[in-house]
Amino acid sequence: MSNVAGKAYGMNVITPLRWWTAVWQKIAFSVAEHFPVKLKGLITLSLIHYARWTIISRNSFPRLEKSQPKETLNYSYMLFESNFNGSWDQYIDSFSFAIPTGLDFFWAWNIKYPKSIPLHDFYHYIRFNQVECDHYYNAYPLASANDVKSARSLFHNLTQFNAETHDLSDEDFAVAWKKLLVSNQHALGSMGEGPAMSTSRELVLDHRCTNHKISQQRQQQEA
Amino acid sequence: MNRPLDLYDIQGNICKGYGRFGFPKARYFFLEFHDSGFAREFIGKLLPLITTAETWPAEGLAGKPRSTTNIAFTYEGLKALGLPQRSLDGFPQEFKMGMKPRAAILGDDGPSAPEHWDPVWQGDRVHAWVSVNGQAKEFVEQRFSEVESLINQSHGGVSIRPGHRGPDGNLLAWQDASAVYENGKPTPKEHFGYTDGIGNPYFEGCGNNPQRLAGRGKLTKEGKWAPLATGEFILGHVDEAKEYPLAPEPHLLARNGTYMVYRKLHENVQSFNDYIDNLARDFDGSRDMLMAKLSGRWPDNGAPLTLAANDAEKAELDARMGQLKAKADDGDACAAGQLQALQARWIDFTYEQDKDGARCPVGAHIRRANTRASLETTKEAFNSPSALDDRRRLLRRGLPYGGEHGAATDESEQGIIFMCLGASLERQFEFVQQQWMNYSNDFKLGNDRDALIGANNGQLTDKHIVQADPQGDKAPFFCTHLPRLVETRGGDYFFIPSITALDMMAQGIVDPT
Ligand code: HEM
Repeated sequence: MSNVAGKAYGMNVITPLRWWTAVWQKIAFSVAEHFPVKLKGLITLSLIHYARWTIISRNSFPRLEKSQPKETLNYSYMLFESNFNGSWDQYIDSFSFAIPTGLDFFWAWNIKYPKSIPLHDFYHYIRFNQVECDHYYNAYPLASANDVKSARSLFHNLTQFNAETHDLSDEDFAVAWKKLLVSNQHALGSMGEGPAMSTSRELVLDHRCTNHKISQQRQQQEA
Repeated sequence: MNRPLDLYDIQGNICKGYGRFGFPKARYFFLEFHDSGFAREFIGKLLPLITTAETWPAEGLAGKPRSTTNIAFTYEGLKALGLPQRSLDGFPQEFKMGMKPRAAILGDDGPSAPEHWDPVWQGDRVHAWVSVNGQAKEFVEQRFSEVESLINQSHGGVSIRPGHRGPDGNLLAWQDASAVYENGKPTPKEHFGYTDGIGNPYFEGCGNNPQRLAGRGKLTKEGKWAPLATGEFILGHVDEAKEYPLAPEPHLLARNGTYMVYRKLHENVQSFNDYIDNLARDFDGSRDMLMAKLSGRWPDNGAPLTLAANDAEKAELDARMGQLKAKADDGDACAAGQLQALQARWIDFTYEQDKDGARCPVGAHIRRANTRASLETTKEAFNSPSALDDRRRLLRRGLPYGGEHGAATDESEQGIIFMCLGASLERQFEFVQQQWMNYSNDFKLGNDRDALIGANNGQLTDKHIVQADPQGDKAPFFCTHLPRLVETRGGDYFFIPSITALDMMAQGIVDPT
């Protein structure tokens, strides 16, 4: 079990709100939806690939199947799901440093939400309400969202370049090649493993290596 | 809002880079405590020698001591002094762990791995760091002898831990450091040939000349420079998140103290020269310009690339400086003013007009180290333009070492004793080292690393991109196969207590109850 897969971290936070203020919260979301300028800060934080807020009203909390008895809930809940590149601290810090007002707007009606500044109260609030991932999969463990975006645009431009430059003279090709390089100079970072997220995470990776070695040795012995 | 600081309670190295104040020589040595009682007594005797942050005249040496003395402790050191467990528990985790177990985060692998560090760092952790800076070497030595005799009087309670690799591979009991001298005069150079020691944060209450604010503070919403909150650099004061930095109890133990990173960074000068010479052959520009494209500043006088992005602009800038200087020397007040305004631009700049990095490459050392609002890629996206930088600033307090013995090779001893201070080792130094020096996601440059200090290994993908002007006809330039130019040779994390805290520690009366 881990919230980390490759360069990505998966975060789920579930927080209660009073059912009548959930309405206000919904209005706040619809404002954000219609005035995307409210989301400018969030989008500029390039470590985030995805963030989603969902309000689950107190009588529509999901059940696995119909036979599961309905719960009587006192609160509605807000589910926040996010995927980002980097460590927990880095993510929460970026939120709190860069877009505290935006955050406060999104959590405004949540019970005991402390506001995103001062930082440590906000840390505790998120940690307390975070639901850990049971399973988290990443198809491109060596890539961050920025890497994927860069690779996609590079691939597209290179394919196009290839199609358009077949018949060029050497001189013209050289000019076109330079242009291609300049116009893609921000999509040419190297790819590799992400930085160590924490010493605990490194320990887990280490243990996995050891487990793997032990099981290989055992297999060899058995064979 | 922060109150005025009690500069007499704060150790001097927190508020001053001594080098800039006419102290080009230093000696760092490390202590081990063998008996908490005698060690505490030693600290009590050392206390009158400790240099505080009291304000000195900026110019000239009058009114300044000939040498300075400061002290800081590792977590093991605080333990050996017998601090109560509850106080010890309040220190942050990375400080408790120390630098070695953080190797995976700091990129200390291969030749920088802790097993290759100088012997002083092997085995149990050192307990304390003492630094003596001096206006001349003899003053350093005088002060060192004074401290040494206090150690000798400690009944074996304190000893100096030897094991610093010296010039001939011999082991020394201390680490000497010195500004690089040219024609008998100290310069702000380091051993690769760059001019260093220009950029440093300006914080509220630091006691520095307010003229130094522009380019060193933080950027407000209105685009003005303002001092950073004191709590970014000194414990017990409000920080940029409007709270008190996490700190051990009691309050008086932490207040007016801070944390320090000490790292001996060896410079492979021969590899550097070979690499630059080789690359310069293919580079459309001078060797100096290529060097500038790695660091972000011209080696000879530290002019930032934002001010002069290529050889032609640099020649123009130098000529203008020369003219203004000559006129100013002739008593032309107007020229003197213009000269001052021009010199202010050495530090007062952002990358606002250079989003593509065509002037200062996006991955240049100083642009990584202090992003100067460039992470706000969409205007007015954040609460303030430098919101993502303000809590990642580093107070640098280092000096070069070695290099006095003939031509430098990779094997000869030279480098930088890198020291940086801040209220959170993890949020400030470790973050910058890991995310901005050894990784580039925030700059959208994948896994590229800093050319100068990154943990590069000479592979094709160990590279630095010198971006070109998107409107021009030049291609970007690729510095590939970057070798490991800088290697870590040792270091640890230290706590620099206030004078009050030192006094309490000496008396053994630190009480969190
Ligand atoms: C041997 C190793 C190093 C060398 C040769 C080196 C070289 C330089 C040079 C030439 C400058 C420009 C001068 C100036 O702005 O003061 C600079 C600035 C700087 N360096 Fe380094 N550096 C080294 C290690 C580091 C490390 C390990 C860090 C932090 C993790 C760091 C952080 C900074 C910062 C924060 C600045 C100031 C940037 C600004 O405010 O614009 N340096 N360095």
